[in-house]
Amino acid sequence: MDEFFIIVIRGIGIGAVYSLVAISFNVVYQSSGILNFAQGHMLILGGVFGSMFLPPDAGVLTWLALLIAAGLSIALLMVVQGYITLLPLKSSVEQHSWLITTLAVSVIISALILITKGPFALVVRDPFPPFRAFGIETPAAYAIAPILAIAACLGLGWFHRHTLTGLAMSAISQDLEAARAAGIRVRRLQILSFAISGLIVGAAGFGVGAILSISPSSPINYVLNGFVAAVIGGIGSNAGALVGGAMVGVLSMWAAYNVGGEYQNAVSLALLVVILMARPQGLFGRVLARQV
Amino acid sequence: MMVANQAGASQPFRETSSRGLFGRASETRLGALLIIASIVVPVLFGSSYWLHILLLVNLYVVVAICQNLLLADAGQVSFGQGAVFGVAAYTVGIVSGLNGYPLGLGLVAGLAAGIVLGLLFALPALRVKGFYLGFVTIAAATVMPEMLNAFSEVTNGINGIGLRVRWLRQPWILGVSPLALAIMTLSLGTLFAHNFLRRTAVGRLMRVAASSPETALTLGYRPGVVRSLAFLIAAAGTSLAGVLYGPLLGFLSPDAFHFDLSIFFFFAVIVGGSGRLMGPLVGTAILYLVPNVLLVDLVEYRLVGYGVTALLIMLLFPDGVVGTIAKRIRLRSASTKRAVLSSQPLLAMRAGQELIRQVPENGLAVKVCGARRRYGQVLALDGVNLEVGRNTIHGLVGPNGSGKTTLLNILSGLSRLDGGTISVFGTKAGTLSASDIAKLGVSRTFQTPRIFEDLTVWENLQLGLDANRGPKNPALIAACEAIGRPLADRRPDELPHAQRRMLELLRCIATGPRLLFLDEPAAGLSGEERGRFAELLRRLRDELDLTVVLVEHDLALVWKLADEITVLDAGRVVESGSPDKVVGNPTVQKLFWGERDA
Repeated sequence: MDEFFIIVIRGIGIGAVYSLVAISFNVVYQSSGILNFAQGHMLILGGVFGSMFLPPDAGVLTWLALLIAAGLSIALLMVVQGYITLLPLKSSVEQHSWLITTLAVSVIISALILITKGPFALVVRDPFPPFRAFGIETPAAYAIAPILAIAACLGLGWFHRHTLTGLAMSAISQDLEAARAAGIRVRRLQILSFAISGLIVGAAGFGVGAILSISPSSPINYVLNGFVAAVIGGIGSNAGALVGGAMVGVLSMWAAYNVGGEYQNAVSLALLVVILMARPQGLFGRVLARQV
Repeated sequence: MMVANQAGASQPFRETSSRGLFGRASETRLGALLIIASIVVPVLFGSSYWLHILLLVNLYVVVAICQNLLLADAGQVSFGQGAVFGVAAYTVGIVSGLNGYPLGLGLVAGLAAGIVLGLLFALPALRVKGFYLGFVTIAAATVMPEMLNAFSEVTNGINGIGLRVRWLRQPWILGVSPLALAIMTLSLGTLFAHNFLRRTAVGRLMRVAASSPETALTLGYRPGVVRSLAFLIAAAGTSLAGVLYGPLLGFLSPDAFHFDLSIFFFFAVIVGGSGRLMGPLVGTAILYLVPNVLLVDLVEYRLVGYGVTALLIMLLFPDGVVGTIAKRIRLRSASTKRAVLSSQPLLAMRAGQELIRQVPENGLAVKVCGARRRYGQVLALDGVNLEVGRNTIHGLVGPNGSGKTTLLNILSGLSRLDGGTISVFGTKAGTLSASDIAKLGVSRTFQTPRIFEDLTVWENLQLGLDANRGPKNPALIAACEAIGRPLADRRPDELPHAQRRMLELLRCIATGPRLLFLDEPAAGLSGEERGRFAELLRRLRDELDLTVVLVEHDLALVWKLADEITVLDAGRVVESGSPDKVVGNPTVQKLFWGERDA
């Protein structure tokens, strides 16, 4: 029974990380149709930030201040990335250029982490004490992750419905040409969406660094599982991302306990293929996967 | 005016785009020379170090060519070709290295295993495309090395597999070992196969399905099947290279097949120039030789180097090394002479020229009953009834937004009805896919003509002939050849703008249709061109027994040409019947000519 609770609690916790990555995918995708392959790398950079700047005796206020700082730093980095990614899209007819540029950025980030930090996993200390749930002691980060994910989902929902900028962004996601014709400065909002996306993953990477694997080769796992979470929920749906992330998290935690840790990605891959074959628009998707 | 026998006279233009220094044929020849030299020269100089490195580069070139086919021809992004390569290589090692079965068996097993992994990519390709497949392939490339370790009893885990096959490496013909000969043959073969594939119907179809899936559908093909096929072809070629990797290296280690390898193949294509036949050769050589041979001391910076190079190439030279050079050369030598497409050979066709007339049939070509289609709050079609008799020209007119194009989209299967029924030649077509409707003998043009810039004018026309499934009409095919062959080396962008529309129409005619849907075909045509266009449509009706449904804003043309006319307004039929009857309807008069009598 203990094992069941461990799988569910930790699965939902790690799944919330995948949800955060999925939500950050959605933000950029909605405004530009781009899925940033480096999203997991930005998450891990948030963790690297934590391993470098979080003092061992940090209190809650210091932690909160650094959480915001991590989010802003990664947001800034993603503004640069967004600018580079959107640059060739101005004139070129090469619509796939973003697949290549975002992948190139992800390769560069991994390689730079390897060169500066070495191949081994970095450690981020959890400043909060572990909590007990169903009689199982669980690191606090497993609770922080769902809080951050729900906050991101609600925050984005409010932003899209109640601010002018948010409304303009929703307009872009529905009809880019019409939005441009209505005088919305599309490029500027697209860059802003990269920044918001960076804010979410940067803060997430710092906030739950204690349960992340922070190494040069790990980001790809978060990219993949985050993408699977987004596809299950339906790309573009943040509420769907919450559910999708929890499903992927619990399933991969189950695989880790019952099949072996090295099969986690294999299980996610199988899940992805099954979903794409059976229901490519996802469980909650409004936007149909382009099938023709 | 051009006439049919001008095919010979236009020979002199034949040296722009596809010929010349960077045409397809010469690019292949130059590539072949490079491949042969890369193996023969080290053998002559007796440098086993360089021979080994260049043999490995040649294996990678094979994979990169397959990646190029997948990316540029089929438009599919795969970040997982390294996994296919690795699975093929490892299977040979497990079968022949660890378990001691004969090498022949190992090679066959490796090939099969690689293709099976290719199927994993091909299956989702039936349903989705683009970045979805990018993620599936990334996932596979990440999982594959993990599985090599997970199944360490089978794969020998991190200890790797030794695979020494002495006789393969002994000098054989002219001092070249059987292995070197096999790799050279494979590399040359893949290069020529790519060039050959582009000249076949399958190769053309791949490029159409990649850039305009709806055109592939209206030609009667399923784009998903074409994408899957591309993944399978690429997996087969990649596996052929993979099975030779073990015998070449003599040792297999799981570290060799990390995600980095897949990235390497992908970036090699981008750096070399996506779509260029020689691109993979140049790209692989640059990305492999520069870091591994020249900068061997800085090997830890290799990945940064790949990433930065790919990024800069994408930002500064999106055509890659070969593509950029070829473009410069082409710009300098481009012919300024306009290409001209003549429909004369079609007009010159006569019943006497042993035309196979389609068996005269009775009944309706198209019957639409109570068609309804809603887009959000807008009723695009609100109970439309339409009957189009066989062997007639039917005009469909109405103001913008009256539902004409929606109706064409539904009739050609690109869009679905919310209510009502449609039948085409008596077959219920409401639930048929666009490709199935095309197979009933339906062909259509689009408001913005679907012309493929990276195919020649003749190849654009050949797409139609490729899709010609019914009983072939030799006179029609001869006429198409007379029109297209003189333009075998001309690009569509050398055609005057209005003729692009004509090219699309000719492609539709070349499919040998029984029913033709035309969406504003006369837009942009001059008065003289309109006359010839009308003449062409009449001939199609009279000589080929075609039925034509024509959406057009030029009312004078429609009234001159059509046997029957249907007027749509706001999703409803206002009037339908003979031109005289329709023009007499006061509502129609009000709609088109205003209330001048009021």
